Amino acid sequence: MSVDSPTFESNIAKMLIIISVITVVGNYVGYGISPIEAAPGMLLIAVIGFVSLLLGRHLSLQFPAFAYATIIGFVLSLPFSPVQDIVLSLTDPVQFLATTTPILAYAGLSIGLQVTSMKQMSWKIVVVAICAFTGTFIGSALVAQAILSYQGII
Amino acid sequence: MANAETETGTWDPIRTHGRYLLHFKTHATVLLITIVAEAIGSHAFDLGPGQIVLLPLLYAVVIGILLSYSVLGQYIPSLQEIVSKDVSEISATLLTISLMPLAVKYGTTVGPEFNNLVSAGPAFLLQELGNLGTIFIALPVALILGLKREAIGGGVSIAREATFAVITERYGIESPEGRGVLGVYLTGTVLGTIFFGLIGGLAPITGLDPLALAMACGMGSASMMTACSSSLAGASSSVPADQILAFAATSNLLTGLTGIYVLIFVALPLINWLYSVARPLIGGES
Repeated sequence: MSVDSPTFESNIAKMLIIISVITVVGNYVGYGISPIEAAPGMLLIAVIGFVSLLLGRHLSLQFPAFAYATIIGFVLSLPFSPVQDIVLSLTDPVQFLATTTPILAYAGLSIGLQVTSMKQMSWKIVVVAICAFTGTFIGSALVAQAILSYQGII
Repeated sequence: MANAETETGTWDPIRTHGRYLLHFKTHATVLLITIVAEAIGSHAFDLGPGQIVLLPLLYAVVIGILLSYSVLGQYIPSLQEIVSKDVSEISATLLTISLMPLAVKYGTTVGPEFNNLVSAGPAFLLQELGNLGTIFIALPVALILGLKREAIGGGVSIAREATFAVITERYGIESPEGRGVLGVYLTGTVLGTIFFGLIGGLAPITGLDPLALAMACGMGSASMMTACSSSLAGASSSVPADQILAFAATSNLLTGLTGIYVLIFVALPLINWLYSVARPLIGGES
């Protein structure tokens, strides 16, 4: 029951279309941006997403599709990119936060698969999270302090 | 690591052939959750030096969990018929695909700032490695608490969206690593701004320079960075507030750009190695 190309490609294309529709609706409800205004940018975003998923599957680098999508978006919107203006004017109506809501809705539904194990972890993972936050802050501050003093900036 | 078996298993649930009703149930539920979450909108409440920020994504994950077959579905059979276990399985795979628009938006947010990144200089780039401090504090604590491979997902970084995407794509959201990263992600979503709001206000006590602390505030989340640097600026008198905010924002921008590569090429291999060394010592049987 494997998902072979080109079945894989048609499946992810369908899923991206559905996600785009949901995102554009949320973009309208939450931020008042008309779906007609957001549609061209959403289409561009979905096409980049499609290409990235294919790259993530077929290139045998250790890169996830997420990284390809970020890099493509980054390169297209660089100041010296000939298409920067077009890309930004198209994608701006699609709000950053509007893209996060469907993700977390799917995430929430999928958590149902592991509610039991989440219950066992609950308070422990909160402690780990606080350690992670503290660790990144202290680590970054110490390295920054060392380099800034070495450079004579402080 | 392009292992064919797991990849097939990962993508299998999204096949549409003969499963249209199941797909309809899944996406209609997500559409409904999205509309409700966006209709409620963003709200922020002041609490001490920080803020509690409630965003639509937070309501979406809570409603999603509540509706799933193993929570409210257990008590409401008719709900379980719609939001079944299969819906949860499809959703786990859809997660990877639904992250694509966010990834593109990340790229188009950082791209226009390219010139600022270059002028910010190498100090910002090296400072990026300081984020690995997470591993050395969170991993031992997680192991002492008795967590197993959850410690890898939870201890590798502060688990913002990019990390969440990499871990869930590599290990799967249903794996122990996926549970770990999700737990830290959710904790950060709920408590992150208030926690960093407090840290930013208290940090000058350490005696470190406000500029170094400002760079530490930029750890990959715009809302946490804002909370951290605003309260730091309020608490420091020796450096102008604007300079603190600029250093924090630039550092945050760089983390957004480089964080994913530090994660893939340094942090994940490092924490996996440390786990294999430390687990027999701290966590008992390996």
